[in-house]
Amino acid sequence: MKVKGFMAKTENIGYKAVIIGGSAGSFQVVTNILQSLPADFPLPLLLCLHRLKHVRSGFVEALSLKSKLPVIEPFDKDAIKPGKVYLAPANYHMYIELGNRFALSTEETVNHSRPSIDLSFITAAHAFQNKLIGIILSGANKDGAYGLKVIAEMGGFTIVQDPNQCEMPTMTDAAINLFPKHNVWTIEKITNFLINLK
Amino acid sequence: MTAEELDIQLFTTAIKQASGYDFSNYSEKSLRRRLAKVLMDNKMDLKTLVAEIRKNGQFAEKIVKEITVNTTELFRDPAVWQAIRYRILPYFKEHKVINIWHAGCSTGQEVYSMLILLNEVGMLDKARVFGTDLNSDVLEVARKGVYKYRFNIGYLDNFDKVIKENPYNYEIFYDVPYSKYFEIDKNKDLITMNKFLTEKAVFKKHDLVQDDNIFPCKFDIIMCRNVIIYFNYNLQNRVFQLFHESLYPGGYLILGMHETILGPYSSFFEKKEQFYVKKTT
Repeated sequence: MKVKGFMAKTENIGYKAVIIGGSAGSFQVVTNILQSLPADFPLPLLLCLHRLKHVRSGFVEALSLKSKLPVIEPFDKDAIKPGKVYLAPANYHMYIELGNRFALSTEETVNHSRPSIDLSFITAAHAFQNKLIGIILSGANKDGAYGLKVIAEMGGFTIVQDPNQCEMPTMTDAAINLFPKHNVWTIEKITNFLINLK
Repeated sequence: MTAEELDIQLFTTAIKQASGYDFSNYSEKSLRRRLAKVLMDNKMDLKTLVAEIRKNGQFAEKIVKEITVNTTELFRDPAVWQAIRYRILPYFKEHKVINIWHAGCSTGQEVYSMLILLNEVGMLDKARVFGTDLNSDVLEVARKGVYKYRFNIGYLDNFDKVIKENPYNYEIFYDVPYSKYFEIDKNKDLITMNKFLTEKAVFKKHDLVQDDNIFPCKFDIIMCRNVIIYFNYNLQNRVFQLFHESLYPGGYLILGMHETILGPYSSFFEKKEQFYVKKTT
């Protein structure tokens, strides 16, 4: 089986974290992914999703509804633990520090965004190096494209949701244009890949 | 961005020698990020920047100001301000004086939020409200109480939530006009705090990294929101010690929505909802 051979390869790499960035049109996709992941998912899953400025609460609850994994908005300096889903808190940038911890920041917006996907991705890339899986989903701006490229350059595994499948393909297009070598996958394939991570 | 490869220590050492400010206990990732931004804004590489810092004290001061994060909002996180209004301030209602310290107040929006709230609950006269920051430029803005309208327009919603609405009783609506507290001039793109607020606020320079309590009093409330996220564990500890010493027993420490007390000082505070209360023994 094709998938099995591929999985055998990824198993050896020993990934340490998955980070997903998304904006407009990504909420349903993330919900579906969370619904599919097993309760014993072996990695921390970091989410950096743009949200409407005034919808600051209720997001965690909405994502938790169908997730078998706990969904948390981390506090500053919280340790990053496997089997948990971490959502970048509203109105903060979420950095990944060396030593497997989060650091939050209220710095200016980047690409009009706070949280900025680029900043989360870049810091995660430096913290996890080639042990990181980075995924960009549907979105209506270009945030994340640069960050995903950095993950790829640090040797991480990078995936872009198939733009044909995206409600808003600006973000995925930007990522592919900036770095054409990303894996461009459908949501089904992405989900299947994540489910099979060991 | 090559900031990751930069020698942070080279920078912090040069700054310390030139200006006396110590960034060595700042949170690594944010400091690197700020440094990268400063290099880009000044169109310099690290070597040139460090050399310039070493020979030009004023330049060093300027870089210190650029490195620190100065974002703040009027009534940021309305739920917190609602809790201050309905759960914390009533506790001090009978006190003769209430002392409040906003540590790391930046351009002062939170200080004005507090003054507005105090006025609404009839406690302004007995309040002493201090704002401190290490950046004298932002303090100057804070003293004037004049802000860009465009950047602050979103925060008028926050004002409505905290000042006009009552989260415990949706039938209550306080019809408080903005002009009671500030003038909005859309043509000039300015929001100007009213004089009775700017005259009431006291802003002073203070460095959380090395200064002690510079005020001749202790405090009932210390607000320090989204400041310690830029500090490492050791420096956070020092700051918690300072706050603990500076609070009256039973006094409140109010941190940012996603900040907690880690380490030894957590046992000297009792956590009430998202707030920390200094234990009496």
